[in-house]
Amino acid sequence: MRLLKLFLPIFFSIILIVLDTRFSYLDNFKKFTLTLLSPIYVIVDLPSQVIDWVNDKGADNETLIGENDYLKGQLIELKARLQTYNNLSLENQKLSKLLNSSYQISNHNIKLAHVKSISQSRLSNKIIIDKGSNDDVTLSQLIIGSDGVVGQISQVTPMYSTVRLITDPTQHIPVKNSRNGIRGITKGMASNKKGMKIEFIPLGSDVEVGDKFVTSSIGNLQPSGYLVGRVTSINDSIDASFLSITLQPSQNMNNLELVLVVKEKK
Amino acid sequence: MKHPSQRFLLIKISIIAFIVGAISLPPYLELISPFWLLSFFIYWLIYSSGKRIFSSAFILGILLDVLQGGILGQNALALVLSSAFILNVKKSFFVSNITTQQVYVFLGALIYLTTFLLTQLLIQDLDIKWLILLSPLLSAVLWPFIRFLLAKIK
Repeated sequence: MRLLKLFLPIFFSIILIVLDTRFSYLDNFKKFTLTLLSPIYVIVDLPSQVIDWVNDKGADNETLIGENDYLKGQLIELKARLQTYNNLSLENQKLSKLLNSSYQISNHNIKLAHVKSISQSRLSNKIIIDKGSNDDVTLSQLIIGSDGVVGQISQVTPMYSTVRLITDPTQHIPVKNSRNGIRGITKGMASNKKGMKIEFIPLGSDVEVGDKFVTSSIGNLQPSGYLVGRVTSINDSIDASFLSITLQPSQNMNNLELVLVVKEKK
Repeated sequence: MKHPSQRFLLIKISIIAFIVGAISLPPYLELISPFWLLSFFIYWLIYSSGKRIFSSAFILGILLDVLQGGILGQNALALVLSSAFILNVKKSFFVSNITTQQVYVFLGALIYLTTFLLTQLLIQDLDIKWLILLSPLLSAVLWPFIRFLLAKIK
């Protein structure tokens, strides 16, 4: 009887592992359970919120004025750069019309989110941000940092979302070479937490060390054009059908504080 | 679980284990940090007359999987197998001195880690950072503190 009592949970655990790895039947259950458990995130996050609040209240006037001036300067600089971008965008639209091309620079909504100091599994590359379904964050949305793509939303609760980093071995993102448009799919490397590889690029394709890969909007599921990383090595073994390309993420994943949730405008 | 206070104790220490486990630590400390839920569950298993041990371990493992955003069933399987070992040595554990208890906790945590890494290996590639092997040791080292803390809470 005791063996049966032990056998049943083991059996169900194995079934769940297989179901969760291969299929998505359990996604709704996970979402519902995580929503029930999300007060735990609130409790864990409380001390850092209190510290932030105290820091905000305690900041002296002079520091705030200095910070404000610096940020105003940054804003002017970025606005000036945006003017060039707007001109390029207009030029692109004109050329697209002339060439009768359907390609358009996509327009995105972005939402600022703070990275919370809440721990996830010790073997996974995930972070938690303070935006959830209450802020219209949905599954699979792209997350970017100041230097490039950070990852993709993998779980959502009303107040928090989990982001699976692009360096996680279970994370795949369609990408293209910004130089010639060759497409592939990135995958995190378990053997190198800071690296990725690109799969499904045929042997003999024109890819060089230093090439930049950006997100590609296959089927319009992903916003395109965001920098993912640079090629650090290429191995073209004749035994394989595809090139073995390693990529260095352009975004440093350590010490992330602020990220942007990207959503395509409809 | 005939006695409602046993159930209440389990809920209480599980919530504490989830909260402590979700506190963010520097990457290296995170790797070697103890298996909080396992240590807390061992306390409940030993010092209470709770029944339905394996089903409780299964449910708590599932909740931890959901909370950590991992594959469902991974922690559940590890917790059930570790509980089976601890339950096997329960009588000896109860009357042992603290050092022997630490050895039992170490072995339980080792079973937990081995199961967890094996399932991880079968599901996807696995890069073993050797520091993670210290986590059963730290679970054992911290056992007296956990026992003291939970005795106060109880």
